[in-house]
Amino acid sequence: MKLSATQMDAMQELGNIGAAHAATTLSQMVSSPVEMSVPKIKVVDIAQLADHIGEESAALVVFELQGEIAHGGYILFYISRKSAVHLTNSMLGLTDPDRALNEMDESALLEVGNIMASAFLDATAELLGFVMLPSPPALTVDMAHAAVQSLIAQMQDEVNEIVLFSTELVCEEHKIDSDIIMMPEASMLATFVERLENLMKSS
Amino acid sequence: MIGIGEYHVGSTPMMAIGLGSCIGLTIYDRERKIGAMVHIMLPESSGRIDRPGKYADSAIPLLLKKLTDLGCRKEALVVKMAGGACMFEYFGNNLNIGERNAEKVRAVLAENNIRLAAEEVGGKIGRTVAFYPDNGGKVTVRSADGAAHEI
Repeated sequence: MKLSATQMDAMQELGNIGAAHAATTLSQMVSSPVEMSVPKIKVVDIAQLADHIGEESAALVVFELQGEIAHGGYILFYISRKSAVHLTNSMLGLTDPDRALNEMDESALLEVGNIMASAFLDATAELLGFVMLPSPPALTVDMAHAAVQSLIAQMQDEVNEIVLFSTELVCEEHKIDSDIIMMPEASMLATFVERLENLMKSS
Repeated sequence: MIGIGEYHVGSTPMMAIGLGSCIGLTIYDRERKIGAMVHIMLPESSGRIDRPGKYADSAIPLLLKKLTDLGCRKEALVVKMAGGACMFEYFGNNLNIGERNAEKVRAVLAENNIRLAAEEVGGKIGRTVAFYPDNGGKVTVRSADGAAHEI
């Protein structure tokens, strides 16, 4: 699917609103300021996925987009392994930055992902005027490319290109570098664009 | 570097990184010291022809043809595969694509009367696969913890 410059701008604004809400919840959970990058929209050929998401070890909390569109794609909270430890340390009151992730960390990461994905989807759904809900979360701590590749393989629409909306969320104080990434199915993306165009017309 | 759905034929080292449910399949010709590698994403092409390397059922015949066109004999080919994991249990409930990919590879190889020399598939882990046609067709598999081993 090709997006015009106007559509890209509109999508970027949508990502901005979603990510800003997610950033606020993250900031509350770690009790420190969180900086947010400008959302990036990337159309990526699956053969080049590795240029965008590599084999580095990361924790990914993944949700399917559900609601009015039953299989709308995915939303991912992506955090490097190192940052994941910093994040859960700050939440659990621990200090060792080099420890292994345990079950308690995994629960904490699922919880953080859940709250952030919900905040992101609530904000964007409200703007667009249709219901988007996250599925129950799934977590993996492994090669990031392997996880994202597996999601692409099970998308509803057979695709050679995917669209990634990603926004970087950084907390300097706790050395946390993370991303919130939305990977919509073509049907969901078409709905976004249509709703956004209607919004622009009516304003 | 071989991306999703891509393949390469030659004698230089090849690599497919971060395989989850995808399969890295290597074919090495012991006589000619050349080989081929493909990064398969799905079991069946269902008639699609734009990216033959993406599907097990179209990728394997294609690579076999490329190699036999170069004069390789089927009897000299050593085939190995890695990947086919299930990274997310919750999402993988009714469509374990990794497992289906691996089954399809085995089935298509059997149809072509080719033995699978080695495989490392399944589980819940990502794998990076490297293939060295210039070094006896060596195939190594590395996981997220960094440990690499030969299969």
